[in-house]
Amino acid sequence: MNAHEALRKHSTLRWGSFLVSIVVLFSLVGPWVAPHDAYTSNPDRAMTDALLPVGPSIEYPLGADRLFRDMLARLALGGRLSLLIGIAASAIAATLGGLVGIVSGYAAGKKRAAILDWTLMRFVDVGLSFPFLLLVMAIGALLDRTTVTSLLATLGVTGWLGTARVVRAKTLTVRDLDYVVAARALGQRHVTILWKHILPNVAGTLLVSATLSIGQMILAESVLSYLGVGLSPPTPTWGAMLYEGQDSYILAPWLLACPAVAIVATVLGFNLVGEGLRDVLDPRG
Amino acid sequence: MFSIRGASSSFLLGLLGCDIALPAPLPAGHPEEVAPRTGGTLRYASFGDIRSLDPARANDGVANSVVIFLFSALIDFDQKGKLAPELAERWEVLDGGTRFRFFLRQDVRFHDGSPFTAAEMKRSLERALHPATPNPSASYYRNIVGYELYTGKKVPHLDGIEVEGTHVLSIRLTAPDAAFLPLMTLPPARPVCPSAGATFRDDWPPCGTGPFQLREGGWAKGQYVRVVRNPGYFVSGLPYLDAIEMHFLMNPPTQRFKFEVGELDFVRDFTHADTIRFARDRRWQDSITRGPDLDIYGESLNTEMPPFDNVEVRRAVAAALDRKAFTAVRPQNLSIHTSAIPASTPGFDPAFKGQSFDLQGALEHMRRAGFPYDPKTGQGGYPKTIPYLVYPLGIHEKTGQLVQQQLSRIGIRIELRLVSWATYLSLSQRQGAVTMSPQGWQQDFPDPSGVLDPLFSSTSINATESSNSAFYRNPTLDGLLARAHTEFDPQRRSAIYGECNRILADDAPWAFTTSLHAFEVRQPHVRGYAPHPVHSFNFSRTWLDRATTTVPSMGPSR
Repeated sequence: MNAHEALRKHSTLRWGSFLVSIVVLFSLVGPWVAPHDAYTSNPDRAMTDALLPVGPSIEYPLGADRLFRDMLARLALGGRLSLLIGIAASAIAATLGGLVGIVSGYAAGKKRAAILDWTLMRFVDVGLSFPFLLLVMAIGALLDRTTVTSLLATLGVTGWLGTARVVRAKTLTVRDLDYVVAARALGQRHVTILWKHILPNVAGTLLVSATLSIGQMILAESVLSYLGVGLSPPTPTWGAMLYEGQDSYILAPWLLACPAVAIVATVLGFNLVGEGLRDVLDPRG
Repeated sequence: MFSIRGASSSFLLGLLGCDIALPAPLPAGHPEEVAPRTGGTLRYASFGDIRSLDPARANDGVANSVVIFLFSALIDFDQKGKLAPELAERWEVLDGGTRFRFFLRQDVRFHDGSPFTAAEMKRSLERALHPATPNPSASYYRNIVGYELYTGKKVPHLDGIEVEGTHVLSIRLTAPDAAFLPLMTLPPARPVCPSAGATFRDDWPPCGTGPFQLREGGWAKGQYVRVVRNPGYFVSGLPYLDAIEMHFLMNPPTQRFKFEVGELDFVRDFTHADTIRFARDRRWQDSITRGPDLDIYGESLNTEMPPFDNVEVRRAVAAALDRKAFTAVRPQNLSIHTSAIPASTPGFDPAFKGQSFDLQGALEHMRRAGFPYDPKTGQGGYPKTIPYLVYPLGIHEKTGQLVQQQLSRIGIRIELRLVSWATYLSLSQRQGAVTMSPQGWQQDFPDPSGVLDPLFSSTSINATESSNSAFYRNPTLDGLLARAHTEFDPQRRSAIYGECNRILADDAPWAFTTSLHAFEVRQPHVRGYAPHPVHSFNFSRTWLDRATTTVPSMGPSR
């Protein structure tokens, strides 16, 4: 089934792709088309007589924020950051989780190698027993200063545990299939079997898991920013914008609505794409 | 009662851009002024909590506001900010300002019924200054004769505190100090019941001579404190209130919701949006009060670290800040303030301009400093990025971004480093750790010494806990500050502090920006309230004129 056919057949994938495309397009093009700089306050033009930021208008299409900066430009820049963090952190998590899951699943039940599976899975159990966000916040507090790199590393390094579990389960079913047994009987090395025979067969599961985790990573980044342990200002992040907007939802509702809609649309989009991919790649699953 | 449905509809209306009006104020019992009446419980809340109600230990604004209900002082500031008798009927300043004699009232009893005497006052002071007491303000009293020996555990009593009679107490100082009397208004100088003993005990139930007392079960940490009228209070007829209830850890939107439905009588912790809503609603105008400007805010520039070891760079920063933009962050709470002495403090000269916004002047200062900057090309300026330490989710996180924008116009590039509140406090007081940070100071008493000594005297510098966060050393200023302590003539003293103010505005260890005042709203039935120039919640003569005897419930504490 090619991509066009998949999109035609699966409405979940279609709607997810549509939402993700909109968010990506907005994030890429937004800062260029926005009429103002994302970092410059302009109280002369963006402040009302009531000392509030101006609402949506031709000059400020999404209104201005509490420091009288253009919401459109800040929302789009925040989108770039969210997408970067979500996709890169998911890639790190998928790589780590995939590696651990495949090795662990392949080693399970084998006499001497079983200890490797046991060790890796108990490590995963311990990791999963910590609340994810608490773990991320604790690591963030240890680092003292949050940067894009540290945020990526923190989310990636803590986000692979679930993926490892799923990939291990898939590997357990794949490794006993006839062609894998045959490859082993022909004397192929374990690395070759893992690379050539197991990985291609768990790739679909890995892709679905990674896509679903993009939304979770974006949400995690937003939560951290909302709680004040995200990136330092004036870097625009959706979570921090959400925090700023919550107090003013009556007088300046756009402050809350813009980042909220952006987060919901992005997370929903990636989740729908993930669900759609699962339908396409594993129709029986 | 606030309902989820109400909240949802408010939110939806808000999203649609509709301005949702505040409810009308709940009516009072009488529309006109009537004579005060006794009774009722006044309820308010705070987003903070109280760690200790022991006056020897309490040192934060929330705790101190309750401490003054429970503990009276020998003398205290009156409504006009002047020192007035309280437990002491009168006092004398003797021996050129090195001895203070207090004549105590003879009709005062502690909450436990024991009489208040000079010996009890001496015991209370010694307890507060005992080396085992975790009193963060103990060093304020280091001028008392024998302080070093007493805190060094060399002697059992403070020699400088003398009981001259059952109700006469004198305190001797090592040097004249015109700022000593204000220190006697602070919590550590408020007498505690004999049950407190001679040394600090964490489990001691607070007991003093104040207008209210704490009964068993009246304080649930993290939830509420309820103080009830002291029937033996030495001021006849006061207090009017039966009780005061303060609820803790309540966020500002919750406080506002509870206030709207009548579950709170007084609110001070508002969101930015709510201050605007109340400020522009005519029906609420008679119920709004604005407190005095007790806090000053500014940008602390570490004078020991480059580039702020160069006075011209500091002057450039002070001139580059457009303070009007800062006030827009919290228009109902922030005012432009451009010098070191708070506006509500004696010695503040309204005619003195202080530091002011002058972009061309700032560029000239940068040129003189050796860092010329061309705004048209963006070339030049200070070549390195300066880290700016700030904590998240407060006013300073927002004003820090304005500082960053405004300094970039003169070629000073700063990078905001967001750290936890604890890290911010620890690092900004450590020598050589922070180049630039936002700072604020709430004075303990309305006297310039309460601001200038801790913030700018070189005696306040130490390696790890320096209240002088700019690490500013100026022998001329130190000399003036020391002279002001020995000058008892108010006019001459004001002149000395005026000179200090001028030096600080010019030398710019801080770029002074704003001052903070409280924005308070009370129910119309709360009568007799007026903001106090020193104390946060001044309910000493407050009374309730409710229209109904049915009071909405606040939960288990009632």
